Amino acid sequence: MAAAESLGMAAAGGKTYSFKVVLLGEGCVGKTSLVLRYCENKFNDKHITTLQASFLTKKLNITGKRVNLAIWDTAGQERFHALGPIYYRDSNGAILVYDVTDEDSFQKVKNWVKELRKMLGNEICLCIVGNKIDLEKERHVSVEEAEGYAESVGAKHYHTSAKLNKGIEELFLDLCKRMMETAQAEERSRGNGASHTSTARRGVQIVDDEPQTAMPAGGCCTSG
Amino acid sequence: MSQRSERRGIHVDQSELLCKKGCGYYGNAAWQGLCSKCWREEYQRARQRQIQEDWALAEKLQREEEAAYVSSHSSSQTQPPQSHSQQSLATFSKFEEKKTNEKTRKVTTVKKFFSPSSRTAPKKVPPEKESEKQEKEEKLQGRRESHGENLLRDLKGIFTQPWEMASPTEESHEGKAPSPSITRQSSIETDRVSRDFVEFLKTLQKPGREVHKQSRGFIESMGNKKDLSAEELSECVQDFYQGMSDRLLNHFKGSSEKVDRVMDQVEKYIMTRLYKSVFCPETSDDEKKDLATQRRIRALHWVTIQMLCVPVDEEIPEVSDSVVKAITDIIEMDSKRVPRDKLACITSCSKHIFNTIRVTKNEPASADDFLPTLIYIVLKANPPRLQSNIQYITRFCNPSRLMTGEDGYYFTNLCCAVAFIEKLDAQSLNLSPEEFERYMSGQASPRRQDDPAAWPQSGSRVNPALSQIHHNLKLLSNLEKRQQQVTEGAQNLQTELAEWQDSVAREVQEILERYPLEIKPRASAIDAENVENDRLPPPLQPQVFAG
Repeated sequence: MAAAESLGMAAAGGKTYSFKVVLLGEGCVGKTSLVLRYCENKFNDKHITTLQASFLTKKLNITGKRVNLAIWDTAGQERFHALGPIYYRDSNGAILVYDVTDEDSFQKVKNWVKELRKMLGNEICLCIVGNKIDLEKERHVSVEEAEGYAESVGAKHYHTSAKLNKGIEELFLDLCKRMMETAQAEERSRGNGASHTSTARRGVQIVDDEPQTAMPAGGCCTSG
Repeated sequence: MSQRSERRGIHVDQSELLCKKGCGYYGNAAWQGLCSKCWREEYQRARQRQIQEDWALAEKLQREEEAAYVSSHSSSQTQPPQSHSQQSLATFSKFEEKKTNEKTRKVTTVKKFFSPSSRTAPKKVPPEKESEKQEKEEKLQGRRESHGENLLRDLKGIFTQPWEMASPTEESHEGKAPSPSITRQSSIETDRVSRDFVEFLKTLQKPGREVHKQSRGFIESMGNKKDLSAEELSECVQDFYQGMSDRLLNHFKGSSEKVDRVMDQVEKYIMTRLYKSVFCPETSDDEKKDLATQRRIRALHWVTIQMLCVPVDEEIPEVSDSVVKAITDIIEMDSKRVPRDKLACITSCSKHIFNTIRVTKNEPASADDFLPTLIYIVLKANPPRLQSNIQYITRFCNPSRLMTGEDGYYFTNLCCAVAFIEKLDAQSLNLSPEEFERYMSGQASPRRQDDPAAWPQSGSRVNPALSQIHHNLKLLSNLEKRQQQVTEGAQNLQTELAEWQDSVAREVQEILERYPLEIKPRASAIDAENVENDRLPPPLQPQVFAG
C-alpha cells in the first residue's frame, strides 16, 4: 500500500514541498491578524477556535504540487530583536510586516531586511507587507517609497488589510510560487532532481560524493 | 523542506557558522564560535597566561619570603648567607615543582582510565581532515579499546554504584564483549521499548527486519565511539537517521508519512539505549552550562510579570492552574529519554501557556504574548539540566521533526527564552542599570520597594503559592484568635463555675446557719408528750374467732 501511494505521488509528477515562513515586524503592526485572516479567515473574532496564532500551518495545491506552509510568528518587541537569528534560521521565506500609518515600523522592516540579507543571502524570499490599508487616510509611509525600497533590495511589496481581507491570499500565493521557483532552481543547479529525501539536515554538511545508501552501521567502524 | 534536504552541501547560514576569527573554517558553538584550530590557539594562550600569572604570583611570594628571611637574619649575619638562602630556596622550589608535576601526571593517568576522551582531545584537526583521519583512528582505537575495555569496566565497577551500572549502551555490548565482572541490571524501560519496537516492526515484515538489524548494528557501533565528541556523536546519529529514511523512501518505497512513523520508532529505540552515554557527555561542557544557567535563573528570582510584560493574570484560578501545569511539564522534560518525548513536554508546556493567555486576554496568543510568558515560566520553573536537554534534542532529534513541525516551533521558542535569559539586562526589563544592579545583588526587592503597603497583594499576584501561604496565615491567625477567645471563655466559665459553687455553698451555709437543724426527740415523745394521744382509741387487738 505504501508503495502504491508513493507511486501515485510520483505519477502526479509532484512531491510535497515544505516551506517555513517567518513573520517579522514590530509589535502591533498586525502580524497575528494577518495570519489569522489567512488561515482561519477571521478578524478580531471572538469565535476563533485556535488556541494560538503563533504557529499556523496551511496546505496548498499550486499547479498540481502540494505545498505545506508553516508560518512562524515571532515576538516583535524590540527587546527580543536579538533573538531573530534563532527564529529565521532555515526559513524559506520571510514576511516583513509594517503598519502604513507608522513610519517607525517601516524603519524596523528596513533593519530586518538588512539583517536577513546579511545572514541568509539571496536564498530567502522576502515579502514586504504594508498592512492596515483600510486606514489609508492616516498613511505615513508613501506607496512610492515603500515599493521603491522593496525593489531595491530584491523583495516584493504588497498592500494588505487584514480587516478587509485584502491582498492576503495574493501575498501568500505569490510567496509560495517564488519559494517553489527558488527550490526548483536549486534542484537544477545541483543536478540531482531525482533524489527524494525528505529530511533536512541541520548545520554544516561536508559534501561527500559517496552514495547515501551506505548505512553507517555497515560502515568500517564496527570492528572492535 | 524537501528541497533543502538535497543540499547536503556547505550551505546553511554560513556567516553565522564560520569561525569568528575569520580564518575561513567553520566554527563550533562548543568552542565559542571558533574553529578547532583557532580555539586551540585561544585556549593555549589563555592557559599560557594563567601559567604565567601563577608563576608571577609564586615569584612574588618567594621574594617576599626572602625579604622577610633576610630582614630577620641580617642583624646577626652579613652578606654571604643571603645568597645562600636564595640558592636553597630556589632548589627547594624546584623540588616542589617536580613534586607537583609528578602529582598531576599521576592524576591524569588515573583520569585516562575514566575518560577515554582525554586521548583524543588534544588531537583535534580541522574538520575537513578530521573525517578521514577519524576513520583510521577509530580502527586503531577499536582495537586498543577492546583490550582496555575490560580493565576499564572493572575499574568502573569499583567506583560506580551498582545501580548506575546498567547503562543502555553497555547492554548493547552483550553480544560481543561479555564481562562477567558486572552484574547487569537491565532497565525495565529499555526492555519495554525494545519489545515495543520489535512489535511495531513485525507489522512491517521484511523492511521491519532490515530496520531492526540496522538499528541494532548501529547501537553496537556507537558503543565503540564513546570517546568521540558530542558533535561527532550527533553526526553519527544524524547520518544514521538520514541513511535510514532515505533507504525507507527509495528502497522500500514507503510513503513519507509511513517513513516518519518508522523513524519515530527508530529514534525511540536508539535513543533510549544511547541516552546514558550521549546525554550531557563528559566530552562536552554541557554540565558547566547547566550550572551557569541554573545560577543565572536563581539570581533572577526577583523578575516579575510586570517587568516581562507577561499578559497573564494569575488571580484567575484557571490561569494559575495552567501556569502550574506548564511549569510541571517543562520540569518533566528532564525525565524523558527520547528526544521526541522531551519535545512533547515542551509542546505540552506551550499549550498550557496558550491556555493561560487565552483565558486572560480572551484572544488567541500571538508570539508577542507567547515568548514573554515562556520566559516567565522558565524563570519560575528553573528546569533541571536545561542546557543539556536542549543540546541533546538538537543533537539527536530526528531533524524532520525539529525543523518544520509545531514541536520545532516551540523548541525554537524555548531556545529563544534561554538565550534571552542569558543575555537579559536592565534595558530588556525596562529598568535603570542601577536598579537592575541592586536587584541582582539582592540589595533591594522590586516588590517591597514599589509600595510597602501593597506588598501582600502584589505578592499574591506574583506567586500563587505565596498567596496561598498568605491566605493560610490569615486563617491561622484567625484560628488563633478564636482559640484564645475559646480559652478565655473556658477560663471565665471555670471561674464562674467555681464562684457559683462557692456561692451555692455559701448560701447553703447561710441557710443552714439561719435555720439550724433542730432535731426534736420524737420517738420517745410520741406516747409521753402527746396528750392527745390519749384520745386515740386503743390499738386493735387480734382476736381469735373460733369456728
